[in-house]
Amino acid sequence: MTNLQSLDLFWPELIITVVILTALIVDLCIEKSKSDVVGWVLVIGLLITAIAIWNQDKTTTTLFTDMIVLDPFATFFKLLIILSTLLVAVVSWQNNELDEYRKGEYFTLLGILVLGLFLMASSIDLIMVYISIEVVSIMSFILAGYLKLDTRSNEAGLKYVVYGAFSSGIMLFGLSILFGLTGSTNYFIIQKSLAGLDGSASAALVMALLMILAGFGYKISAVPFHFWTPDVYEGAPTTITAYLSVAPKAAGFAIIIRFFHQVFADGGALADAESLSMTDVPWPEIIGILAVATMTLGNLVAIQQESIKRMLAYSSVAHAGYMMLALPVLSIQTVYAIMVYLVMYLFMNLGAFFVVITVKNKTGGETFDDYRGLGWEMPFIGVVMTLFMLSLTGLPPTAGFIGKFYIFSALISGGSQYYWLAIVGGINSVISLYYYFHVVKVMFLEGERKETLVQPPEVMSGVLLATAIPVFLFGIYWNPVVNWVQNSLIFYVQTM
Amino acid sequence: MYRDFGTVLVAVILGIVMVAIPLLIQKLIAPSKKSKDKLQTYECGEEAEGSAWLQFNIRFYVIALIFLIFDVEIVFLFPWAVVFKELGLLALIEMGIFLIILIAGLAYVWVKADLDWVKRNVRYGTGRYQDVRMEKTT
Amino acid sequence: MIVPLEHVILLSLALFSIGVFGVLFRRNAITIFMSIELMLNAVNLALVGFSRYYDSVDGQVFVFLVMTLAAAEVAVGLAIIIALYRNRQTVNIDEINLLKN
Repeated sequence: MTNLQSLDLFWPELIITVVILTALIVDLCIEKSKSDVVGWVLVIGLLITAIAIWNQDKTTTTLFTDMIVLDPFATFFKLLIILSTLLVAVVSWQNNELDEYRKGEYFTLLGILVLGLFLMASSIDLIMVYISIEVVSIMSFILAGYLKLDTRSNEAGLKYVVYGAFSSGIMLFGLSILFGLTGSTNYFIIQKSLAGLDGSASAALVMALLMILAGFGYKISAVPFHFWTPDVYEGAPTTITAYLSVAPKAAGFAIIIRFFHQVFADGGALADAESLSMTDVPWPEIIGILAVATMTLGNLVAIQQESIKRMLAYSSVAHAGYMMLALPVLSIQTVYAIMVYLVMYLFMNLGAFFVVITVKNKTGGETFDDYRGLGWEMPFIGVVMTLFMLSLTGLPPTAGFIGKFYIFSALISGGSQYYWLAIVGGINSVISLYYYFHVVKVMFLEGERKETLVQPPEVMSGVLLATAIPVFLFGIYWNPVVNWVQNSLIFYVQTM
Repeated sequence: MYRDFGTVLVAVILGIVMVAIPLLIQKLIAPSKKSKDKLQTYECGEEAEGSAWLQFNIRFYVIALIFLIFDVEIVFLFPWAVVFKELGLLALIEMGIFLIILIAGLAYVWVKADLDWVKRNVRYGTGRYQDVRMEKTT
Repeated sequence: MIVPLEHVILLSLALFSIGVFGVLFRRNAITIFMSIELMLNAVNLALVGFSRYYDSVDGQVFVFLVMTLAAAEVAVGLAIIIALYRNRQTVNIDEINLLKN
């Protein structure tokens, strides 16, 4: 579609742009003590955007002369991103870490982050891929270092910006090689040119692929591009940690699925047909090995952590590994499984981090020692945290179990060459049982029991319920999620 | 092709010669009387004072950052200016929106007083500026 | 006269490698950022070379956007370095190690 026609289908992004500018200007007109108002601008704006997305035509088409794509798959990720942003924005009002600072920029930056994530979920052009990833990265750098008086937050920001700029530079070189091999930046044209490429170029292609994987792997914090994850997650404001562990990861998976299925495979899987890898580059094997390394390392290092926030950081690395397990199988079931897992992961991981925020507001700490006997002092927090830990381990009847179930069944239906991936995944789930239950043990079995009960503030209780209920409900009755994902499995695709 | 480079070479040689000749003439006919004042570094007629290796005020960095951001956006204006006539009104509106967003950024910097030079104490003054302490004026 | 594509690619690869080694082995945060800039400009060179080779403007458009985003990235990076310097009085990566196991 041409540029002017595209605008008609681009309303959600346009609304977000207006929301960002409004938030920026509103922030300039109010005092520091009232800067929470900007949060309202963002929340209301996101709700309007969600309505706009919901009412959008269910067409599949490309916009702006093949720069981005509009299809139910992208819409699914957009709604997921809005949901997580709304939850995080509401919790940000309650986060005591931010009290000393103006929150206006904070919410404005969250808005820009949403715009970048939207573009990530829908880009089909190397230029758009780079722009959207950079927009998301740059906003995350600032937000990670937002507590500018806190040295740990500064350090998180610096580490994030160095690793981020380095890996996006490497990815960019990969993209330029891909452009050099094919002469185009458009996914569909690249796909056709790659199919016609002779064997002599495959060394360059492998190099390009590995370099691009560095950029994508960095966004979903896959081994060996995960070095930033624990440090940034520990130093950043906890609300941002929660957000980074969910929304950019979801968009990262969206971009990976689209890129590998459309550029390095014939796109058949996305059209629900048999699919083949287009080149002799062994990319499914590479991703399989990375997935195994990611979850094993995440789980093994998580065991040794003393800080719950850092433990959850490594656990989110491990969860990226579980989702990556399904990528090597070129079938629509695996895309389906990853999407189901992302929905479940959103609720349980955000919930766990929100508990960390509540506890930090009260005790000022985030190590295991601060959680001693907490289950008796704050029974609601104890029960909810236990539920999230059960779910992150993947035990029934919780959402995490359903997510893992879909991933493993997609692997097994992919054929016998993927069984080993499923087995390693199973072993890893057992390892993770140890450190997740350590939290539960510390909360209920250690420390002295205090008789006085402490209630968390109403807003936090409400948000925790809003994440805990889905975690429990989707463990028993997961049809709504499955139906939603099923209806979203429509791609704009060009098969060969 | 060698002719193209030959032209450049001739231009370079001519340039060097044209500068060298006046310098040489000046050396030959001008009287040379060296004194302490004459050998000093030229600093707009002022007496040079202190070392140049002092720590610069951090305000320079902030101004430089702001300049960097707005400067680079010009790169989008050049291609637009080239094809502006063919694209007509639509391109004008598009660039207007782009510039409005940029101006919102400028307004932000302005209101946040990052364009004001005198905002905080001069912490790093040396030499004759050592004793200057500017108090907050905004 | 046109410079052959191979020369452009080799130069770009050399610049890129210098940048990568700079990031890996330098310990000053500012120098690391300069190395990252070098990497990005190496990519720009490659893109312009390919663009010339294929006679398409896609690569040049890409270069424009890379330049802008690189500027934004460096601005944010320098701002973070300034914030860190105010608190810690150092820009040495090795001394910035509060977040460790």
